[in-house]
Amino acid sequence: MSYFLFILKGAFHDFSRNKLRTFLTSLGIMIGVLSVILLIAIGLGLRKYIENQFQSLGTDFLYVVPGGTTSGRDSNIRFDERDLQRLRRIEGVEAVLPLAQTVTVVEFGGKSYKGFSIVQTSDEYLSARNITVEYGKGFTRQDLEKHAKVAVIGARVAEEVFGAPVNAVGQTITVQKQRLTVVGVAEQIGGGGLGGPPFDSFIYIPYKTGFAFANPERKFQGFNIKVTNSEQLSVTRRRVRSELEKRYDPEEVDVLEQTDILNTINSIFGALNIVLVAIAAISLIVGGIGIMNIMYVTVSERIREIGIRRALGARKFDILAQFLIESTILSLLGGVLGILLAFLITLGIQPFFPAYIDAISVVVALGVSSAIGIIFGVFPAKKAADLSPMEAIRYE
Amino acid sequence: MLQVRHVWKEYKIDNDVIFTALRDVSVTIEKGEFTAITGPSGSGKSTLMHIIGLLDKPTRGEIYINGKNSADLNDDQLSTLRSDFVGFVFQQFNLINKLTVLENVLLPTIYARKPLPYNPNEKALYLLERFGLKGKEKSYPNKISGGQQQRVAIARALIMDPDLVLADEPTGNLDTKTGNEIMKLLKELNARDKRTIVIVTHEPDIAAQARRVIKIRDGEVELR
Repeated sequence: MSYFLFILKGAFHDFSRNKLRTFLTSLGIMIGVLSVILLIAIGLGLRKYIENQFQSLGTDFLYVVPGGTTSGRDSNIRFDERDLQRLRRIEGVEAVLPLAQTVTVVEFGGKSYKGFSIVQTSDEYLSARNITVEYGKGFTRQDLEKHAKVAVIGARVAEEVFGAPVNAVGQTITVQKQRLTVVGVAEQIGGGGLGGPPFDSFIYIPYKTGFAFANPERKFQGFNIKVTNSEQLSVTRRRVRSELEKRYDPEEVDVLEQTDILNTINSIFGALNIVLVAIAAISLIVGGIGIMNIMYVTVSERIREIGIRRALGARKFDILAQFLIESTILSLLGGVLGILLAFLITLGIQPFFPAYIDAISVVVALGVSSAIGIIFGVFPAKKAADLSPMEAIRYE
Repeated sequence: MLQVRHVWKEYKIDNDVIFTALRDVSVTIEKGEFTAITGPSGSGKSTLMHIIGLLDKPTRGEIYINGKNSADLNDDQLSTLRSDFVGFVFQQFNLINKLTVLENVLLPTIYARKPLPYNPNEKALYLLERFGLKGKEKSYPNKISGGQQQRVAIARALIMDPDLVLADEPTGNLDTKTGNEIMKLLKELNARDKRTIVIVTHEPDIAAQARRVIKIRDGEVELR
């Protein structure tokens, strides 16, 4: 017990005599641990953010897309109204929302606005997706059947084109040379980018209206299917699959759940995060080399002390342990500082981004910094232990 | 107790030049002796002391400690003997300045491999008091005088109750008066406590105070 006390006292005496040197040496490890923990925290936050966005899209949806969307082997098939009718008849299906989407420019008042998508779908889309029409109203089944030239626009479209959503209802915009009357403005949803579809930038029109100008081939890129009971999701999924396979090869079409899409996105970002963390880990190695360097200096400053200890009966192992404990404390000090700083920074960014530090990364960071202290301390400590007692004690 | 038999120590200075520090030296130290190893500087007396103290190994010849050949021992076993068989006192005192006086005296006990039959803390306090260092326990070595430092070093040499106290020029860094006090202390330890003491010195005055004197010249024991 007092053995460790004596070693610790010696170590801390040396640290306090060389405060700046100790701090600078730990700094290398601190920066390494800080960057690794922060990147993990941001990666975890990103995952949580994406999950939250996908949760808000609803767990009672199936997505019918051309095959290979998630595996990278794109099939070129497009769906049509016949598929729409067949899918609607499946048991457990509440609504089938056809989707044909193209990027478009919006013209209004002699100006054009970029960065929006025209979404050709059915009248059920907004209600099935739980999107409220804040101003005006949505388009109806009659609008759809009569190929009415109407549109519901997303909050961002209204904001950019008309300045304020209130001004939008009743105005006429031109999209791909087709004039459309704005009948409603949807509420602000958020999302976009990693957080799912950019609903606020959508211009929703009846798909039959779209057949006349935006989609002359009368094809859909896919369907969103709302199921009656989310607990029956996989059962309904199998029914949808077998219905589609009557017409298409199994590889030509995919029926996805929320979790499939989420897993794909997560695996992409997970891989990216691992690469970033690995790059940050290089700085830990650099920090370790800094420790090794200082430990060599420490050993050569204390050759005489080592000789005295050997003359008093210390074994090689005692000297080895002494210097290993010192390098480990040095490294662990940097690790603890890095974790504390990472906590502070994470607290600082949490209002903007759900980054968080999990217990595992703290434990791993402490383990890794101790391991670095031992690995990079072993050569200097071995040098100290292998000194000849006689030469060490006569060293001036 | 300790026998040095036909010991040679040679150093390779250059490729073909070999310096012989000890030449066929045989010395026996018996329990309870107070012996001085003396000789001019460069005579090899310090080399002999390092070999007796197991800090160095001879090129040829054997050291028997209580009948055991030291050549048969590995590094850990030699360390153990340095821990419990020998207690060192050095010319430079060789205290560790970042540890207090008391901690310096206790330092050998933390490397002890066998349980001690006494409380080391009590024994350290007793030795410090006996050597006139009461009140200095919490001081640091660089804050006390040279004579006091050497007495701390002697207390450290005794804490493990060694068979042999080995003192290398113990008065070399002290003025005559302080040096005499240290000699008085060593003589008292021999006379009263029956300690076996070997001192190495180049000063004839100091050597003359020992009960037995071994003279070394040019690496050989000078026969009287």
